[in-house]
Amino acid sequence: MNESIVKVNNLVKRYKEKIAVDNFSFELKQGEILGLLGPNGSGKTTTINCILSLLSFDKGEIIIFDKAMSPKAYDIKSKIGVVPQNVAVMDTLNVYENVDFFCGLYIKEKQKRRQYVEEALEFTGLSDYKKYKPKKLSGGLLRRLNIACGIAHKPSLIIFDEPTVAVDPQSRNAILEGIKEMNRAGASIIYTSHYMEEVEEICSRILIMDHGKKVAEGSATDLKNSLKIRERICIGMPAINDDIIKDIKAINHVYDAKFDGKELIISLDGGEHNLVHILEYFSEKNIPFGHITTKLPTLNDVFLEITGKELRD
Amino acid sequence: MFFRFFSYSLKQLVRMRWLVGWNFLFPLVLASAFYLGFGNMIKDDPNRLDTIEVAYVAGDGINSNFLSVINELSKETEDHNKILDITSFDSLDEAKDALNKNNIDGIYYQHDDTIEVIVSENGLNSTSLSQIVKSYQNYQASFEKILSEKPEEINTLMANMESNQSFIKKHDFNTGVSQYMQFFYALLAMSSLFGSWISTAIMTNLCANLSESGKRFEIAPGHKLKAIFAGILAGTILQALSNAVVICYVEYVLGLHWGAPICMVIAITILASALGISVGTLIGSIFKNQLALSMVPLAFTMTCSFFSGLMMGGIQQIIQNFCPLLNKINPATVFTDSLYQLACYGKTSAYYEDLCIMVLMIGLCLAISVLILRRRNYDSI
Repeated sequence: MNESIVKVNNLVKRYKEKIAVDNFSFELKQGEILGLLGPNGSGKTTTINCILSLLSFDKGEIIIFDKAMSPKAYDIKSKIGVVPQNVAVMDTLNVYENVDFFCGLYIKEKQKRRQYVEEALEFTGLSDYKKYKPKKLSGGLLRRLNIACGIAHKPSLIIFDEPTVAVDPQSRNAILEGIKEMNRAGASIIYTSHYMEEVEEICSRILIMDHGKKVAEGSATDLKNSLKIRERICIGMPAINDDIIKDIKAINHVYDAKFDGKELIISLDGGEHNLVHILEYFSEKNIPFGHITTKLPTLNDVFLEITGKELRD
Repeated sequence: MFFRFFSYSLKQLVRMRWLVGWNFLFPLVLASAFYLGFGNMIKDDPNRLDTIEVAYVAGDGINSNFLSVINELSKETEDHNKILDITSFDSLDEAKDALNKNNIDGIYYQHDDTIEVIVSENGLNSTSLSQIVKSYQNYQASFEKILSEKPEEINTLMANMESNQSFIKKHDFNTGVSQYMQFFYALLAMSSLFGSWISTAIMTNLCANLSESGKRFEIAPGHKLKAIFAGILAGTILQALSNAVVICYVEYVLGLHWGAPICMVIAITILASALGISVGTLIGSIFKNQLALSMVPLAFTMTCSFFSGLMMGGIQQIIQNFCPLLNKINPATVFTDSLYQLACYGKTSAYYEDLCIMVLMIGLCLAISVLILRRRNYDSI
């Protein structure tokens, strides 16, 4: 768990005047699933392309398996698997041929390759679609083929760049389960996404990016615990007067309370049994109310607190 | 690894339907259209002279010398040709009437010591009729001059005429190629340059700045240039096969002769196919845009083909007069010229020069492509 697989130090990538990645550093350790979370355009894919030596960069250092990465670092490349954001397969080859073609770039031995291809197809649930051309596959199956092409050679480092974009929930769950399984089998994984639920579900460590910079890093629990607001209670009601809001703000652990015309939104900074205390106050004052919902903080709240904007903006 | 890339490239190319359409079917369709347009003219023996129907009208007395000359020309030769077929008319009006009705090609009208040639239209026949008169008049003038100045030399002149000395040696290239075959040579050139599409398709699959699959390929530890050269070989074979189909179709189905042994024509088109593929490789290494990768090969092919005479027969000669360098750097012209040289004159130095230019062009295109494509990372993709 301590061995460093990827080390990125002070990476800077500019597109003319625009800075896409700004002094970005991180480390992926053996057996980790590291999530790179950030909105579209935050620099995730650019970072991945720099790591893979597809893109040149202006400053910084990229070390993979203790060696400097370069376009000709074939020994490093042979241990990396990539599942790119867009489906990257050959339209004229069928499912089996696609996986075989890309696997063949890594595995020279025919028998071994055949076995690996079969295993990748089995793993992604494509065994029944071997003869299908990519155009005949559904969106979910196409994504699975994209994954099969990236992992067939059994790499020890796998980079998933938003693999679930435009995928139905069922296929998405299958993909996430597959990633966890690959990790259990020993692969270290970098997973980029702008879906916070996915990142929260599978990543052991999360790195939040915005405007090419790292804005937060830690486990999902650590990140959420770092927030001021730890719980949010929403109570539906037609109207409310300012005195009641004032009273609620005075309740222990209430950080803020405001009425948006339909709901009273109460933000709390910790404590226990907060809902009970609020309901006791409502009962005592005989205040009528409708539905009640409570929400624990999400990574979106973390992003919102740090950057002042929604993750999906 | 090279063979693997080669077999997968071949597999991918034969499954591209547009490629089958443009590279295999379109040249066949165009060849058929050319055949319908001027197939019969090509089938005619280009060396054969039709007998000229001519009238002889003596306006003020028969010139027996001239009459005996044209009578001589109206006799059948050993190879069963005769140059003239003479019809006598009593009056010029009758002869003109026959000329207007196209019963005869021309009239020799003799009056006031001159022989006038009357034709209804200019062409090969009118030129031949005039030339006969000019030759006759030249000999006549020579005799008169020698008789007046050196009458003792008249016997020498007679002897020379009888021996029929000629300082021009006839060489028979034994080809009988029609000038219209130029269109088919240009068609083969166009078909070969269509190969540039094949290589841009190969490049698209293998370059990270052109496609997603290219990104996946460049991320892998595979040797990019090896894969590209395997693709080039597969493309060349496929394009050469397409050309061979066109060559056989023209020769055996349409019944038109290329003017050279068919295996030799196929051999030259293999070189032309490699040239088309190399040009495409260069285009694929320069341009990043998918639209450009489709349009540039098409524009390049059609422009080169136009200047090689695909749409306008005499354009090569016009260019040769005004900018001969253009003919030397236009791959379609170099190829059509090599075929023309082979068909008309055999393996001359001009033919070998054309082959060398094609080989140089292939080498140059590939060398520049290799310099651009060497394993690298990109500023943006």
